[in-house]
Amino acid sequence: MTSFKLDYESVKSEILPPFSLNLNESYTTAIYSDTDMQAELLHTIRSNGEITVFDQQEGLYDRLTVVDNVSFYRKWFGCPIPLPEILVLFELQMCAKKPLRKCSQSEICRVYYAKYYMMNKHPMVFQEPIHGVDIKTINTFINMLKKVTDNKTPALILVSNLEHALLLSDVAYKLQEKGLQEIEVDIAEKDEVTPEAESAPKPSTLKLFKIPAKVEDKVILFDPLEIDYIESQDGRAMIVINEESFALDSTLAEIEKKLEVYGFYRCHRSYIVNLQKVREIITWSKNTYSLRIDNKPKSTIPLSRTKIQSIQDMFNLK
Amino acid sequence: MNTQRIGAIFEKDLKDFMKNMMLLMMPIIPIVLALIYSRLGGDEGLPIPMLYLIVGVTFSSVTASCMMTMMAEENEKKTLRGLMLSPASFLDIIIGKSLVVGLMSLVALAISLFLVGIEPFLNVQATIGLILLFLFFLFLGIGIGLFTKSIASTSAYLMPVMFLFGFTPMIDFLVLGEDNIAITIADLFPVMQLIKMHDTNSWTSIGIVAIWAIGAALFTYICFKKSRTDD
Repeated sequence: MTSFKLDYESVKSEILPPFSLNLNESYTTAIYSDTDMQAELLHTIRSNGEITVFDQQEGLYDRLTVVDNVSFYRKWFGCPIPLPEILVLFELQMCAKKPLRKCSQSEICRVYYAKYYMMNKHPMVFQEPIHGVDIKTINTFINMLKKVTDNKTPALILVSNLEHALLLSDVAYKLQEKGLQEIEVDIAEKDEVTPEAESAPKPSTLKLFKIPAKVEDKVILFDPLEIDYIESQDGRAMIVINEESFALDSTLAEIEKKLEVYGFYRCHRSYIVNLQKVREIITWSKNTYSLRIDNKPKSTIPLSRTKIQSIQDMFNLK
Repeated sequence: MNTQRIGAIFEKDLKDFMKNMMLLMMPIIPIVLALIYSRLGGDEGLPIPMLYLIVGVTFSSVTASCMMTMMAEENEKKTLRGLMLSPASFLDIIIGKSLVVGLMSLVALAISLFLVGIEPFLNVQATIGLILLFLFFLFLGIGIGLFTKSIASTSAYLMPVMFLFGFTPMIDFLVLGEDNIAITIADLFPVMQLIKMHDTNSWTSIGIVAIWAIGAALFTYICFKKSRTDD
């Protein structure tokens, strides 16, 4: 099995920009875009008929038990891996005898993963694979991706959520009208150095400090403590509060400087988190980390490997 | 054709059949009908047209109806998406399902005929006739199942199949007169031909039923081609 090339340079579409992308077999690729762009991309991928997209839209046999479903798909696709091994790999052994219609959404999701894994397609394209599932299920999906990569099968994940893109993939791209660009995942230290030189003037009235954000023609002032986290989109900082986000005029580095005193922390190249709102530090199986925020959508934001030590120090964790 | 895949479909559909109340009730109909008629018959056993009525009900309510329902359910729930690897795998699915339906029809037919007396069917000619009749209803079920998109719509298609081909002996009870056009046409229907065969022992009746079966097979083939091009 070798790498796979998506070549859409010559596609004529009003939404989709022309691009080509090499899917490497030794790592997972993600494309992050908004839902309209994603729908257009899916349409383009499907139109040449060569690639099957795993979107969990097809039905499973909901009267049958989990084990009956999995064993049927295993036989149908002629998968050589023994059935118990598949069940354990996807954490289905506990609900094996449950009919599918009584299973939770996460359990059904894991049956889909098992089916897709056994289909053994080349390449594998997933659409929103971990949308609305629990942590255990995300972990099984990450494990599966690792196996897929070990099999030298290129995997592509389409998501409309930056956190998911960064969590699941080794290389993440952002797809916009102007084209496809790579999202840098590693924290480059040089980025940290530049703001030092500027030495932003300290706000004189520290106690009255508010963060201004523009919404259409209004300016909204946010109390730093109500902010959940700040993410960077195209070099601009976006304040996220529950499901809403508001654009800031400054860059992430500038805002980081100002908010440090309020207990904000740069946990990732593209994220500043309000440490007061962190509920959980999640350790994923491939030695990556996420922070779970105590807000309505229970957002998880990525935590860089290099930053885990200082976070642990901050919370006095060993 | 791939025997491993056919086996997988057979096993899956057999399990699914056992858990689907809608399908499980179907074989009960001819058995209950046979039970009621066997009380009416007395010592001499039932007349041949009554026996064929039960055969017709079995094949239309078990064979054709279950096949239609199973295919329609797969269409409705989109479970077939992703299973189709090649046109050949579609054949595997149909064969696997036909085996399940065949097994169920055999069980229902055997039980109901034991209740009303199986002796008239224990010769080569009658057995061939039954097999051809089974194929006719099976192809009819597959063909209709290919284009129905939901379970609810199958009952609309099932009714004409059941009344035209299953209950044909009943047309005599409508008392329309000997040379009524309806009776003449109905006499050519497969079940009527098989009843005639018992009177005359002629092989032409078998031949006519075989033509019906081939016609149903053609109908299935056309539906198959059409459903392929729709995709």
